[in-house]
Amino acid sequence: MSRRIFSILGLFDDVQRLMDAIPVVKAKTGARLDAYTPYPVHGIDKALGLRKSPVGGMVFIMGLLGALAGVGFELWTSGVDYPLIAAGKPVLSWEAFVPIMFEVTVLFATFTAGLGMLLLLNRLPFFRHPMLRAKSMPLITRDKFALAVESDGGELDEDAIIAVLRNAGARSIEVIEQPAPPGPLSPDFLMRVAVAIAISCGVAGYLTYWAMKLFPISVPVVHMLDQPRLNPQTQNSFFRDESGMRLPVAGTVARGHMPYSIREPDDPAVPANPLPASEPVLKEGRKAFEIYCSVCHGILGDGAGSLTAAYGAKPANLSSRAIRDYTDGKIHHAIVAGKNAMPSYAAELTEDERWSVVHYVRALQRALNAKDEDIPKEVRK
Amino acid sequence: MNGSSTTKILTAGAVAGLAGIVATLFVSGRERFWVNWIVWFLFVLTTGLGCFFIVALEHVVGARWSVPLRRVPEKLSSLVLLMAPAALLALFSLPAIYSWTRPESLDNPMIAGKAGWLNIPFFSLRAFLCVVLWLLSYRILVTGSYRQDRERDHRFNMRARRFAPLFMAIFAFTITIVAFDWISSLEPEWYSDIFGVYLFAGTFLAGLAATTLALLHLMDRKRLPGLGPDHVYNLGGFLFAFTVFWSYIGFAQYMLMWYANLPEEVFWYKERLEGLWGPLLLALAVFHFFIPFFVLIPRDAKSDPKRLRIVAGVVLFAHWLDLYWMIFPVLGKGPLFGWPELSFLVLFVSCGFLWIRRALGRGADMPVGDPFLQEGLGFRL
Repeated sequence: MSRRIFSILGLFDDVQRLMDAIPVVKAKTGARLDAYTPYPVHGIDKALGLRKSPVGGMVFIMGLLGALAGVGFELWTSGVDYPLIAAGKPVLSWEAFVPIMFEVTVLFATFTAGLGMLLLLNRLPFFRHPMLRAKSMPLITRDKFALAVESDGGELDEDAIIAVLRNAGARSIEVIEQPAPPGPLSPDFLMRVAVAIAISCGVAGYLTYWAMKLFPISVPVVHMLDQPRLNPQTQNSFFRDESGMRLPVAGTVARGHMPYSIREPDDPAVPANPLPASEPVLKEGRKAFEIYCSVCHGILGDGAGSLTAAYGAKPANLSSRAIRDYTDGKIHHAIVAGKNAMPSYAAELTEDERWSVVHYVRALQRALNAKDEDIPKEVRK
Repeated sequence: MNGSSTTKILTAGAVAGLAGIVATLFVSGRERFWVNWIVWFLFVLTTGLGCFFIVALEHVVGARWSVPLRRVPEKLSSLVLLMAPAALLALFSLPAIYSWTRPESLDNPMIAGKAGWLNIPFFSLRAFLCVVLWLLSYRILVTGSYRQDRERDHRFNMRARRFAPLFMAIFAFTITIVAFDWISSLEPEWYSDIFGVYLFAGTFLAGLAATTLALLHLMDRKRLPGLGPDHVYNLGGFLFAFTVFWSYIGFAQYMLMWYANLPEEVFWYKERLEGLWGPLLLALAVFHFFIPFFVLIPRDAKSDPKRLRIVAGVVLFAHWLDLYWMIFPVLGKGPLFGWPELSFLVLFVSCGFLWIRRALGRGADMPVGDPFLQEGLGFRL
């Protein structure tokens, strides 16, 4: 079996001879060249004709992707999926997005630079580089300069290249053989990685267990609990009335709150229904009715809800004549203030939802007491 | 165009500009005159100070690569000498455009609280102090370097290295004074702690841009033999890095004020976003960040004279626009650019170029007495 050559090294005594030899060897062999020197030599990458590193382009693209990912994620989470108003700013406040966009850009870019260089371009972890077993390596790390003619996968004309290197001034020659290809996922490598991970996990877990046991520091973050503040229901001398809790300023009205001052259901001041009996309003009313009202009043509002039997109560039949004669305002008042055993639902239903429920109750009443005229003409026979 | 005809044109420009600004004083009123004066003297002054900072930075960190080109920022930093009388003249602007000088401003408790700092005697004292400190530092760092050309006295390097850290403190102190006094106190209610750093970022960028332009100009005329693309690359790298720094500081100031939304801070931005000022701020972002940043991203761009010239020109223009955007809204009108602004432009640019031409013509083009010159010329990336 003929041996396969990885590269042929020519060792030079000083950097000038190496630099002089590069164009000569390059012209005569036309092969791919590399150089190994004890210290970085300026301009040698250009002389060797090494390709420009693609890291810059990779970082640029991934940085842009990072910026887009950051800003896109922010737009989606706080603008579309769950519109959130923070600090009284508009939902889509680009100003607040910039720092995170910047950080994600940096994150993507640095990870691409570091991992891309190590894993993608240098193909680490890689323990089998043929140069590591070269006999000249100790000399190269000391005071010799090596020019390598690499095979690049093809065959090299060994004798011709040795002659070219000798003529170009190389003092000694070493032929480096290609080791048998180990395969990208050789069993011994995978085994070593798996064992290393298992051992590190075991050691880390064991140490963590004993560290937590011997030094009980397992409540690491107490800062938010441990801060100067006024707890509710506590006495405090800061305010004149020595109470830690504050009342709202007189006349304060919560945002979106509609004051409702009517006490009596037959008060002539009960408002009329402000909403039109449109389809979306009825849908809204049906949704709220089925959640809050139907358990007692029944899904049809006839007083036969699922909880009626369990509690022995007698909720009103909303389609009865008495309630059909109620004004809208009186039904609404019952929702706000409660009636008999029924509690107030003011906290559960917003103003609009209550009025929508009133419309839906009217619809139920009409449905359960339908007359012939209620049936559309074209359906009637 | 030969040298003497350029000088003639510049002199004619200076005379015409002078006539224009005198006319401004009588026709357009003293407010407009002084606001223009502040913008232009600060533009030229900060460009000079930025160059001065580059000189001191080299001494502080003991950089060798920049020794061969140090004479360029040294010569440009003489713009500080040109602007010293302009700064003292600008003290006459205090009663015209600085509202805190009016007695009725003390009715505002915010301004009354700052009266210990914002009063004409102390303000003038600070302005004098800044000018004196700059002149002293110039004498030590720049005049000393010129003297070294003749005397070849190596002790200058030691003196400069000892003094430069002190100069950094002086620079930080004076640039903050310039920012707080001349710009920030135009709106005396306003607070921004980071404002000094913001002006510093613009100043350093303007200095780098001016240095880059002058360096490329001299290299074109073969006056800097031995300087190669590697030196230019470093300047380009600085320019690239500090566009990001400026944007970072500028955006940090904006975002914190936008988030906190405190009346005594946010009104400053509100005034500067109203009407046409808003698009102008966008233009500032484009010229001060987006164009320089994206043009300078590729590696080759940082040593390519053509692209560097464009970027340096854009950055200088953006620095002027920055000052214009900060200072002009104090007039309470939209962006103004008429013949008064034009005559100020002609006057200050002509005088600046006359001064720079004179400075570039004097003394050696490189610090020939510096013992590190050879090492600096040998610098390769």
